[in-house]
Amino acid sequence: MEGPKDPNSNPGRVDDSDSELELYTIPSSSRWFTWDEIHETEKTAFKEYFDGTSISRTPKIYKEYRDFIINKYREEPSRRLTFTEVRKSLVGDVTFLYKVFVFLESWGLINYSADSGGDGGEAEKEHEEERCMVKVEEGAPSGVRVVATPNSLKPLSLPRNASSSGNSGRIGIAIKMPPLASYSDVYGDLIRRKEVNCGNCDDKCGSGNYRSIKDNLIICTKCFKNGNYGEKGTMEDFILNESSEISAKHGAVWTEGETLILLESVLKHGDDWELVVQSVQTKTKLDCISKLIELPFGELMLGSAHRNGNSNSVTGIVNSKKQIQSSSSDHLETSKTQETSTAQDQLSEPKIESEQNGDAVNESPLKRQRVAPLSDSSCSLMKQVGLLSTVVDPHITAAAADAAISALCDENLLPRDIFDVEEDNASGARTLDDEDLEMVERSTQSEVKDGIPLTLRIRAAIGTALGATAARAKLLADQEEKEIEHLVATIIEAQIEKLQQKVKHFDELELLMEKEHAEMEELKDSILTERIDVMRRTFKSGIARWKDYPCAKS
Amino acid sequence: MKTPLSGFYRNPVKFRMPTSENLVPIRLDIEIDGHRYKDAFTWNPSDPDSEVVVFAKRTVKDLKLPPPFVTQIAQSIQSQLAEFRSYEGQDMYAGEKIIPIKLDLRVNHTLVKDQFLWDLNNFDSDPEEFARIFCRDMGIEDPEVGPAVAFAIREQLYEIAIQSVVSARESRLSKKGRRGADFTPISKGGAVAVDLVKLFGIKSSVVRKRKEWDVYEPIVDLLSNEEVDVLEAKEERNFR
Repeated sequence: MEGPKDPNSNPGRVDDSDSELELYTIPSSSRWFTWDEIHETEKTAFKEYFDGTSISRTPKIYKEYRDFIINKYREEPSRRLTFTEVRKSLVGDVTFLYKVFVFLESWGLINYSADSGGDGGEAEKEHEEERCMVKVEEGAPSGVRVVATPNSLKPLSLPRNASSSGNSGRIGIAIKMPPLASYSDVYGDLIRRKEVNCGNCDDKCGSGNYRSIKDNLIICTKCFKNGNYGEKGTMEDFILNESSEISAKHGAVWTEGETLILLESVLKHGDDWELVVQSVQTKTKLDCISKLIELPFGELMLGSAHRNGNSNSVTGIVNSKKQIQSSSSDHLETSKTQETSTAQDQLSEPKIESEQNGDAVNESPLKRQRVAPLSDSSCSLMKQVGLLSTVVDPHITAAAADAAISALCDENLLPRDIFDVEEDNASGARTLDDEDLEMVERSTQSEVKDGIPLTLRIRAAIGTALGATAARAKLLADQEEKEIEHLVATIIEAQIEKLQQKVKHFDELELLMEKEHAEMEELKDSILTERIDVMRRTFKSGIARWKDYPCAKS
Repeated sequence: MKTPLSGFYRNPVKFRMPTSENLVPIRLDIEIDGHRYKDAFTWNPSDPDSEVVVFAKRTVKDLKLPPPFVTQIAQSIQSQLAEFRSYEGQDMYAGEKIIPIKLDLRVNHTLVKDQFLWDLNNFDSDPEEFARIFCRDMGIEDPEVGPAVAFAIREQLYEIAIQSVVSARESRLSKKGRRGADFTPISKGGAVAVDLVKLFGIKSSVVRKRKEWDVYEPIVDLLSNEEVDVLEAKEERNFR
C-alpha cells in the first residue's frame, strides 16, 4: 500500500486546504484550549504573566511561547519534543520556559501521541502511556477531540517556515495557526471537487490531479502529461492526487476492452493490484478494484484466486481483507437466514466506517486501527445494503431511507438540491409493490444515477442500511430485555426462597436455644436446692464455721 | 540594571541566592605537597558551621588525602561562606533582570557548551532541575555532568547576585551608578543583563530568528582519551 501513486497512502496531502484537516488528538481534559485565547486554566497556572507588573512577562509573550511550542511539536507529532530543543528557539527565562513546557506536556497539548524516543525519560513516558490508557477507558470517541493544524509529515512545512522567517524574521507569526476545532468532513470532498482547478489551464481537474510539493500548485493530468509544470516546477515535485470518490466516478467509464483486460489480469495475478494495474494501464488501482467488485461475479473470481493461493501479498490489511471476503462469499452462498444476518451486520460495520473515513483517513496511531481501506469492500456495497434491508420489514427500510436522506439534507445545504430530485424517484420506487427490497434498492439507484454524486448515494444507502440495522437491533434488544427481565425475576424468586429457608432455620435454632435455656434454669434451681440442703445439714450438725457462711452464699 | 524602569521596580529583596533553594556554590582547589584537590559543590549557608569541619574530615578520610588538607578545606569553605554572609542582609537590586548564562565546561569526557537566559528575580528557578532535564534531553549518561552544569549556573548567578548588591548600594550612594562589569573581573562579559525592552517589547517576537537557533543550541561532545589528556595538560599549565 506504499508508494506515491497510492491515493490512500497519504490523504493529508490532497491539497493545501486539506492541511487544515490534519487531525490531532489531545486529551479530553484539555478541551479548553484554543489558539485564539488564553484560558482561565492558563491564567491560574501563570499568574505572574497576567498581573501586568513585568515587562518580560506579558500575556502576549506567554501566548507566543505556548503557540510556538505546540507548533514545534506538531511539525512532527510522532516524535517526542524535548525542552532543550524548544529553548534554543525562544527568548526568555529558561525556568519559566520550562514551566510552560511542563504545563503543556501535562495537559497533553504536546507529546501526547509521541512514541517513546528519548533516552532518559522512560518513567515519564510510561506515565504518559498510562494516562492514555485511562482516557481510553473513559470513553475514547467522545473524549478524544480532533483538532486541525498543519500537516506533520509534510516536507513542505519546514522550507515554508524558513523562507517566511527569512522575510519577516518573525516565525511565531509566520507559522500558520489554523483555528483549533473539530472538523466534520462529510462534504469536504464534494465541495473540494468543485474547487480544484488546474493551475495551468484553469480546467476542472475532475479526473485527478498532480500537486507540487513545493508550492502546492495543482495541475491537471493533461498538463502533467504534456510537461507543463508551471514556471519553476519539475516533474519530481508533483504528486499524483486522486481522491477515491473522483476515481470512483471516473471508474464508471470502462470500455469493454478494459474490463476484459482487467478480468484477465485478475485471473492471472489474483489480488496483487499493483500487477493488475500494470496490465490494465489505463486505470488506477482503485478503479480496478471498484470495477471488479461492481461486476456481478467479481467476488467469485477473487475468491477462487484466493483459494488458488495466487496472492503473494504479505500485509496484514490484505490478510484481513481475505477473511472478510471469504466470509462474505460464504455468506452469499448460504440462504439469507437471520443467524447470518448478525454476522453480516458486524461485517458491514468496518465497511461503513471506511466509507466515512475514506476521504479523511487519519494517519495518527489512535485511529489507524479503526480505519479499514476502501478496497476492503470486496462485494458491492449496494448488495450489502440490500441484504441488510431484507432483515427487517419493507416499511422499516423505507422509513430508514427517508430518515437517512433527511439527515443528510439537514447536515448540509449542498445535497438538499440534489435530493429534491431523488425524493421523487425514491418515493416512486417505494410505491412499487415489490417483495424483494434488493430490487427496489437497485432500481432506486439506477433511476437516480444521473443526477447525484456517487458519494451521496453511497451515504444515503449507508444511512438506509444503518437504519434497517438499527430497527433490527431494536427488535433484538427488546427481546433481550424481556429475557433479562424474566431472568431477573427468577433470580429474585430464588433469593426470596433462600431467605425464607434461612428464617426457618433461625426459628429452629431459637427453639433449640429456648429449650436449652429452660434446662439450664432447671439445673440452676436444683443446684440451689441442693446447696440449701447441704447448708441446712451443716447447720444441724453443729459445726460452727459461721465465717464460711457468707462465702458459701455467694 | 542599565535602564532601571521605575514602573517595574519591586520592593528590594535581601541578598540571597536567586534560586528556590538558597545554596551557595563552593569551589575548592587546594594543593599541598604535590597532592591537588579540586572540587565543587553547594552548601546551605544556614547549616551550622561545625558541619564544615566534619565535612572536611570526612572528605579527607574518604579520598585518602594527607591530614593537612582538613584545615585547608575547612578554611576555604569557611572563607567562602563568610563572603556570602557578608552580603546577607543587604538589599539586592530588585528590578527585572534577565541575564544570559553561558556554559562551557568539561566533565570527564563530556564537553558542554550552551547559553540561555535566566531571570535573576525568578526565585522559583532551580538550576539542579534544569541540569537534570538538560542531561536527560541531551542523552548525557555521565552522572557527574548534571551537578557540574547546575554548579556552573549557580556560580554565575552568585556572581551576578553580588553585583546586584553592589550596584544597589552604588545607586543609593550616587544616582549615577556604575557599571556592574567593573566589579566582576571574572565575569567574562556574561553578566550584562539583556535589554528587556528590546527583547520583550511589543514589536519583537520572543521566537528567535531561525539563524540564531544554532547559536543557542546546546553542544555536547564526547571526547576521546587523547583529547582529554591534552586538555588536562593545558589546564595544568594554566594553573601553574
